[in-house]
Formats: sequence, structure tokens, C-alpha cells
Amino acid sequence: MPVPVRARRATVIAVLLAGLALAMLVAIGFGAVSVGPGDITRAIVRAITGEARAAGDAVIVDIRLPRVLLAALVGACLASAGVLYQALFRNPLADPYILGMSAGAGLGAVIALTLTTSATALRFGVVPAGAFLGAVLTIVVVVRLASLRGTLDVTSLLLAGVALSYVLAALTSFVMVFFRESMTSVVFWMMGGLTAASWPYVAMVTPMLALGLAVPMLATRELNLMLLGEERAGELGVDVERFKRLLLGVGALLVAAAVAVSGLIGFIGLMTPHIVRLVIGPDHRVLLPASAIGGAILMVLADLAARTVLAPVEIPVGIVTALFGGPFFIWLLVRRNGHR
Amino acid sequence: MSARLAYEGATVGYPGVTVVRDAALAVAPGEVVGLIGPNGAGKSTLLRAVTGTACISGGLVTLGGQSLAELGPRERARIVGVVPQNVSAAFSFSAREFVLMGRHPHLGRLQQADGGDIALAEEVMARTDTLRLADEPVDTLSGGDLQRLALAQALAQQPSVLLLDEATSHLDLNHRLQVLDLVRDLADGGLAVLAVFHDLDLAARFSDRLGVVDAGALGPIGPPPEVLTVPMLARVFGVRAVVGTDAVTGAVAVTPVLRDEAVTGDRTGRVLVVGGSGTAAPLLRRLHLAGYDVAAAALNRGDVDQAVAEALGLERVDLPAFGEVDAAAEAAVGRMAAQADAVIVAAVPFGRANLGNLRALEPAASRTVFIGEFGPDREFSGGEATRLVAALDAAGAATVGDADSAVAEVERLTSGGSRPSGR
Repeated sequence: MPVPVRARRATVIAVLLAGLALAMLVAIGFGAVSVGPGDITRAIVRAITGEARAAGDAVIVDIRLPRVLLAALVGACLASAGVLYQALFRNPLADPYILGMSAGAGLGAVIALTLTTSATALRFGVVPAGAFLGAVLTIVVVVRLASLRGTLDVTSLLLAGVALSYVLAALTSFVMVFFRESMTSVVFWMMGGLTAASWPYVAMVTPMLALGLAVPMLATRELNLMLLGEERAGELGVDVERFKRLLLGVGALLVAAAVAVSGLIGFIGLMTPHIVRLVIGPDHRVLLPASAIGGAILMVLADLAARTVLAPVEIPVGIVTALFGGPFFIWLLVRRNGHR
Repeated sequence: MSARLAYEGATVGYPGVTVVRDAALAVAPGEVVGLIGPNGAGKSTLLRAVTGTACISGGLVTLGGQSLAELGPRERARIVGVVPQNVSAAFSFSAREFVLMGRHPHLGRLQQADGGDIALAEEVMARTDTLRLADEPVDTLSGGDLQRLALAQALAQQPSVLLLDEATSHLDLNHRLQVLDLVRDLADGGLAVLAVFHDLDLAARFSDRLGVVDAGALGPIGPPPEVLTVPMLARVFGVRAVVGTDAVTGAVAVTPVLRDEAVTGDRTGRVLVVGGSGTAAPLLRRLHLAGYDVAAAALNRGDVDQAVAEALGLERVDLPAFGEVDAAAEAAVGRMAAQADAVIVAAVPFGRANLGNLRALEPAASRTVFIGEFGPDREFSGGEATRLVAALDAAGAATVGDADSAVAEVERLTSGGSRPSGR
């Protein structure tokens, strides 16, 4: 007899949440000053209850905690976006980074950054908006380019994404050269980093992730049906064109949230859904929430590595994910070809 | 209007391309309507217009009297189920989960498939002989299994209209009949079925009515024997075919004899063939393919040789079934014999009914070739046939052992030499 999806989903998610809590405790504990899990818990409890801070609480509550939380949020955004685009294009190689959406969001964010002054409040509204616009425009152009020859085939999609990424990266550099004064910080941001993590960023990304996850969670059956192909999904009652537009929009929102706070971080959106699918199968009712949590775990660990491997020097986390993700992508390509 | 699905002057196609113009068709509950036609004629496009993959640029398509334009995709999917020609399963859902996806249009946004849905899914899987695959991942199954699962998935939609797009193309013979029998049962239970067939015999056997889609138009819809005719097959499919009745199923059966392009021989000359009961069929075909202008002496309707001669479009004299070669027929065969460069008499027995064919050969005796010695085993006319054969022999007719020798003799006779002038 089939295990009821609800029960299975509850188990998988409980296990993953426990894993995430563990990863976050470890990540908060490591750093220039190591902190034990007991100290971390007590500091967080004191912060929540409003009790007077003990010495060392500031490091935990103001620096490490927002950083680790932000890493988790960004990882969840990227992995969820990966799940959505892989379903949309019925292609396990789709990922916001490979499709050029991250680069598009990056350009949008950089333009927004240079156009706004230092007024922080404005920045928190304008940068994600710019990133969102950049991501949406990019995916629209990529899909148009890829379907020029009639059907939207995988190779054209990946090529269009990679090609457009180069153009967008060049444009981004151009904008940065034009506005020299902020170049160093922008370059570091572009490489993908969470160094600027703070509570306002956490507050900005949280609602974007919540919305970006809630909408597709209400449409997991449609996501499953999309895997049968657009025509079949339509035959089984999905309003395919509307659903595609919805997915593109929600995916762009998730990418924009991640890029606006952490720049270009690749491969989390590619690797996470893959690993999760290998373990629990393709059913989006489990795959989507599990990938979101899985992406959070991977990102927390990647950021931990970025901070600690060469301490006190910090590697941009985008480099860490690329070091693991690149070979993973190649492995996927080889395996796919081996199947034919 | 009792039709579950109706095309009312519908023009269908894709953006910028019209595929089928002005189609008129109504499918009633309990009815299987088949669509046949050459590849790329637009049969599938007609089906796709119902599910919104192709567009309707003129006229109407209605479901239960309601225009498609008024129905949302979910509402439509509760009425229409589709079994596509190719089913893809790139991801590893179990077969049961795959079939349960058919419940989508019946489930609310926050609703999960419950015990009732699962019971329904397993029932349709049992009917399509796929229940034993329930826990198999679909991406490991064969094309035939997938096609039956797609039918189960469509049935899980609990549709009142079922569209089949060459839905048995990947099935083995046993499952093909099993699936079509099931479809027939479902139709008898009140389902309206519109099916695209690539196999004309299956179309004839399982459809109540048939329509031909060709050159951007849907022809008139009628019972299979009225639609599947020799001229239609020649016009639409470019094949010469024998249309008969399958002895076992009683359905119309189509046997393609040859494609028009297959006549490649460069032989010239007229050959008259006297046959019957299938003794001449291979010879008729062989001589026709070689390029000869072949004629057939009098044959009864219903005779295999007659059917082949008709399918090949040969000049011939048709007799009613069980009729005799009467004076008029004998005269007609005599004229053919007089014009022929060579006459072949196949190893056919002669009796009172076909003696006229032999009598008519007299003017062509010197150009006549018998296959096989005429003996008592072929004599059913009380000696008359034996006397006629002897007379023809005396006048120069030849006798050869087999068809190959007869064809060689025809080559000799048509290549000049003994051809009389002025005929």
C-alpha cells in the first residue's frame, strides 16, 4: 500500500528541519570566537525575552545569527527557484544561474544600487525591485531566444542562458566602471557573499521567500502535471499558459530575493532539487518544501566553509558553491549522455 | 442536440496555419467515431482543438451543447479524457501516482486524493491490465505499458467524451485488441469516443462511423463499408487495395495490393489472362507490375482474382456472383482475345459456368499459353473443355509447366515475331 503523502512529507520535513537546526547551531558556533551550543541557545532566548545581554551575546545575536539566517533564507530561495524552473522546463539542468536569471537580477540590482543614494530605506525597496525586473526580463528573453526555431529544446535553452549571462555580466561591469566609487563592494557582492548580512536584510528576504514558496505550494499538483509535458498537463486540466507565467514570476521573485542580498551564487538551485529527488522522488508535494530546507542547509554549510577555511580571509560563498556545483553539473551531463 | 462532442463548421489549426477547414462531425453517447487519413492530414489537430492545444479559428466545437470557449481547462478536463499517441514519463512517479494525476480536475486546491480516488484509480488500472504495475516507476515501463496507463489516467478523469490519438500504436496485438474491446465496452456504457486510427482494419472493426481527413477537409461521416471504398483508398492513400469482408470478424477488411508508384516495369503489349478462384492473382499482379497492359477474362464478383483485377484497375469482364459466362460476356472476352498479343490460361478448372472464356480464345489460339497440362482434374464440363483445349492446341497454342515459363512465353510473344498485323 502507498504510504500517505501527508505522513511521508511530515517525516521528511521533520528530519530536514532537525538537520537545518543542527547546521545552523554549528555555523553560529564557528568563527573567530568559538561559541558552544548552550551559549548560543541562552543568548537567543535572552534576545527573544528581552532579558539583559551577557558579554558575547552581541557576536551571536547581531553578527552570526543574522548571517546564518540569511544564508538559510538565500539557500531556500535558490533551491525553490531551481525546483520551479526544472518543472517548468521539464529539465533537470535548469537553474536560475544557468538560465542567466541571476546575472539579469545582478544587473538590475547594480543599476538600482547606482541610481539610489545612500538612503538605506530606499535601498531595501529599490534593489530587490531592480533585481526582480532584471530576472523577469532575462528569463523572457532567454525563452524567446531558445524558442526561435519553433520548439523550446534543452540545448537552446542552456545556450541562450549562458550566452545572455555573458552579455549581462559585461553590462554589469560596464555600469560598475562608470560608477567607480562603489566598485570594490559591488565586485565582492557580485561574486556572491553574505558579508553584509544584517537583520534588515533578513527582514527583507523573509516575506519574499514566504510568498515565493506559498504560491507554488498551493500548486504542487500542477507542478507534477507539468512534468508530463505541457500538452498532457493541459489535457488533464491545467491552464498551462497562465501557470507558466505564474511560475516565471514566482521564480523571478525568489531569484531577486537571493541576488539582492548575496549577489550571484550558482548551483544551489541545480544541486539541491537533484539530491532531494534522488532520495524522495519527483513528487512536488514533498520535493518543493524538502528542497527549500535542503537548500538552506547546503547554503549554511557553504557559508560556514567560506568563512572558516582560510580564516581570517573570507572567500565569497559563490566561489565555494561553484567549486562543488561545477563538477556536479559535469557529472549530471555525463550521466545524462550515458543514458542515451 | 444529443451530441456529446460536435464540430460545427470548425476550422482548426495553429497560430498562422490552418490545418482542417470547416469540419462537421457529431459524436453521440455510446458511439465510436473513427478518423482515418494519411499522415499529416490533420486528424490529431482535430482532436487537439478540443483540448486547446490547437486553436479554433472559425466555427464552433461544442461539448454537450456548450461551446469550448465557455469552459475552463478544469471543467473541460472533467468532460474530456485524451489518450495521446506518445506518452512521456521522464520522472519516476509510480504508476499509481501517474494514474491518480487524472483526478486533478476533480480535486480542489487544498484537497488531496483520498481513499475514494485511489480506489477509482486502481479500478481503472485493473480494467486496463496495469494494476500489477501499480508500484513500478513509470520511467522504467515500456511504451505499451505507458499507453495503457495513459488510458487509465484518462479514465480516472471520469470523462463522458474520450479522444484516442492512435492510442494503440505502441501496443502488441493482444493488448491492442484488449484496449479497443475495453473502449468498445465503455462506449456501449454511454461514453462518446472519437478515435484517430492508423490501421484501417481496426478502424472498420471498432468504429460505428468513419470519417476521412484529407487535404485539409473532413469528408462525410458514414458506416465503415460506405467510407472504405476502393476509389477512396486510391484517391486518399494512393494505394490500390482490395476491400472485402473479414471472414471472422465480419468487419470491412482492407488489403493494399500495391502503391501507384510501384509499377516500374517497362514492358509493353497486351496480355489477356484467363483465371478464377485465385489461380491468376499472382500472375495478374506480376504482369501489371512489369508494365504490361493486362486484361482479365470473365470472372465472378467475389472471386479473389476478380478483386485483385479490380484493385489493379485492369480491363476485365465482371460476372455476377455464381453467374455464368453468357453470350455477351463471351463476345467481350473474344474482343479482348483478338486484341491481345498473348493469352495466358491459368491452371483453372473449367465447367459449364466458365466454358465461354475458353470458347472465346479461338481467334488468339496461336498466341495462347496454357499453364499445366489440361487433365481430368480440371474437367467439369463433361468433355467439352477437353475438346476446346485440343482444338486450341491444334491451332498453335502452347503449354508450359509453370508461371515463370508462361511469363517467358509472354515476353517472346510481345517482343515481335509472331504478332499478327492489323489487330
